[in-house]
Amino acid sequence: MASYALRRLGTVLVILAVMSLLVFLATHALPASTAAMILGQYSTPETLAALEHKLGLDLPLWLQYWNWLRAMLHGDMGQSLVMERPVAPMLWDAFGRSAILALCAMAIVATVGVAMGVVAGVWRGRWPDHAVSIFAYLGIAVPEFYWGLVLILVFCSTFHLLPSSGIGNLSDGVGSYVSYLILPVITLTLTLLAHVSRLTRSSMAEQLDSMYVKVARARGLPEHVVIVRHALPNAMVPTITVLAQDFGFLIGGIVAIETVFAYPGLGRLLIFALQRQDLPLMQAAILTLTAVFCLANLGADLLYGIANPRIRHGGAVE
Amino acid sequence: MRNRMSRVTLTRRKALAVTGGTALVAVLSPARAATDRTIRIAYPAAVATLDPAKFRVGGLEYNYAHCVFNRLTAQDNKLQVVPELATSWEATEDLKVWTFHLRDGVKFHNGKPFTSADVLFTYSRLKDKEVASVLRAALGVVDKIEAIDPLTVRFTLSSPYSDLAAVTAQYQAQILTESAMDTLTTKPVGTGPFRFVEYRPGDQLVVEKNPDYFIPGSPKVDGAIMRIIPEYTTAVAALESGAIDIVYDLPPEQLDILKDSKVSRIEEVASGSWLGVIFNNAFKPFDDPRVREAFTKIIDRQAFTDIAMFGHGSPTVTPIPPAHPFFRADLLAPPDIPGAKKLLAEAGFANGMAIDMYFPNGSPVNERLATAFRDAAKQVGITVSLRMAQEDKFDSEMEGKIAFSVDGFFGRPTPDTMLYAWYHSTGSWNNTLWHYNNPEVDKILDTARATGDKDEQKRLYSRFQEIVAKDGPGCLCFVRNFACGVSKKVQGFVGSPQMWVDINNVTLAA
Repeated sequence: MASYALRRLGTVLVILAVMSLLVFLATHALPASTAAMILGQYSTPETLAALEHKLGLDLPLWLQYWNWLRAMLHGDMGQSLVMERPVAPMLWDAFGRSAILALCAMAIVATVGVAMGVVAGVWRGRWPDHAVSIFAYLGIAVPEFYWGLVLILVFCSTFHLLPSSGIGNLSDGVGSYVSYLILPVITLTLTLLAHVSRLTRSSMAEQLDSMYVKVARARGLPEHVVIVRHALPNAMVPTITVLAQDFGFLIGGIVAIETVFAYPGLGRLLIFALQRQDLPLMQAAILTLTAVFCLANLGADLLYGIANPRIRHGGAVE
Repeated sequence: MRNRMSRVTLTRRKALAVTGGTALVAVLSPARAATDRTIRIAYPAAVATLDPAKFRVGGLEYNYAHCVFNRLTAQDNKLQVVPELATSWEATEDLKVWTFHLRDGVKFHNGKPFTSADVLFTYSRLKDKEVASVLRAALGVVDKIEAIDPLTVRFTLSSPYSDLAAVTAQYQAQILTESAMDTLTTKPVGTGPFRFVEYRPGDQLVVEKNPDYFIPGSPKVDGAIMRIIPEYTTAVAALESGAIDIVYDLPPEQLDILKDSKVSRIEEVASGSWLGVIFNNAFKPFDDPRVREAFTKIIDRQAFTDIAMFGHGSPTVTPIPPAHPFFRADLLAPPDIPGAKKLLAEAGFANGMAIDMYFPNGSPVNERLATAFRDAAKQVGITVSLRMAQEDKFDSEMEGKIAFSVDGFFGRPTPDTMLYAWYHSTGSWNNTLWHYNNPEVDKILDTARATGDKDEQKRLYSRFQEIVAKDGPGCLCFVRNFACGVSKKVQGFVGSPQMWVDINNVTLAA
């Protein structure tokens, strides 16, 4: 297991190194130059050249990359070109706030989503199954920002039950803080719940039809023991992978949700950086998201390895 | 067993959430109404920078700056120049030497007294190439700035300029102090009615009342929280639920929603921000004045205003807005389709033409204006293909390099600042946007900026509008209204044509 974990970790490091190069090149290939963005309507070739020199944007690309990478490895994310303040504190604040959203959403998806899948799998073809299916199709078919707006109109505009936007202050009490999280987390959860519940349903159904379940039933075990002890652990194996993949999905969703709910997280910071062509901020934010995504996948690989010994021993899958 | 358990978890979660939410509403709402006199305003976009010299985005930037800083002069809602940190000023007969007398006893938020040295520091910074302030071009006429004594400053110009006191009222010209430059982008220090508390990027900017402000009794609120809410639907929901007191700059699409609201109202005022159809005179077919005039004759300005702004705007001929005393309403001609056809035939386009029209994305108003033109042009056999471009790419790479587009600009405070850069052959905007060259217009603009005589200026700018209405580099269609959603709790709110939210005289009812 340890060597398997090390191998996976090595892969993640290689991916991150490649990604850093890709992020750097992609952000430099953007149509508008940073200096042009900062000067805007008033730029002249003369002021443009002066500013590019000041920002170090006139150095050869490889040298810019090396300087940037070296600083990043030292934990120095640099200075936002547009806001002229250090990137790191802004980024970590925003990251923390996004992480709260993501973890709450993941916790709900992992519990409620799996439960919904089990219910649908056990009562296949009966009404609980249909209810979960309808919910899942609605969740998948309608984009999350639309659900966000619907929830805002219902819970904020019409019934004034929950705050429509922003983030709460812990000093105002936990209730207040949580009330700001409810709508964004529910919205984030809807699409993923659909995904996870559908998958758990089909693998649950598959397990319930399998030989060992029939044997267990034949031995006269009570149905709940059959489901919880025997079928569920095996049905969970593909779900774990999908949960990790969904984490990537969640990051994409967070960008939209944070905009709809004016939630000051990493997604909003990234959009700001993109709109203003703030290179250091953009690069640091994208790289952070990439790292989170890689680590989530690493976590899934390790969990998967624990759940399924064939994987970590390099055996063929499927 | 397991199923039931998960169902219980689900209900418990929901129950917790709902109790938390309602408890919040029940506990916080009354308390907030009784004690808190902090006004909460929603803006759609974050500030790019807290450094006023580098402003160019507008919106929250300008509004925050008016809270924290002061300029030498300001402009009231009728665009008249009024005193701020300068109590009075005078120019010599030839308009080349301007003397400003500064307010006595003003202190920066860090306790440092305000003197002429701060004015010198601020303006030398604005003129610094490295700072790259957008105001630098307008200050190009300023040769020298000297402090005569701690409360007197003298500007010496290279050529006569009648609008200097309007330039010192520009957003970027907020007076800074050298003693607080190291915290300018994190905790800015000014002399303004509010002190800066904190800025959480992308979230909110908080200011508190400056108890030592030089105008006694102002501001009337204890502070302001300026929240950044990018979605208008969300901001309007927050206004309706009482979490926000003012929503800044609502687009026309959102105004109907608030029309029947019980808790808020719409405050609307005509601004100087204009939109129009841009003909790049350096490109065919717009090098031919007959084509430009024909294209102008197709346009029904009132109909275009109704389509693009849902009527929340006013037709205009040049950047001089309808509310301005120099505006020539008689030049707003109705469309003339036979006239347009005749001119096109003379220019060799008797059988019509096909042309691409570009516009930046991100603004439904631009989009609707472009569509309106496309449909109107069919009447004279012109086939317009609409091309939407990424906004940043449009601004940085396409503007000036394409023949035909839709675009708009923020209003400027005086006729000279509205027109010179766009219509003078040496103007910075003229040379990036549409390459217009009319010697008579050049002469008018040069003469008008060098005279202090209002009647003479009125005569000159009137003639200018006549020329441009017929032979213009583009066809301006309208100036848009500036609309805010305002809670009924807010009293004393007056919309400003300069698109800022003046909270100095606003009070909050319980």
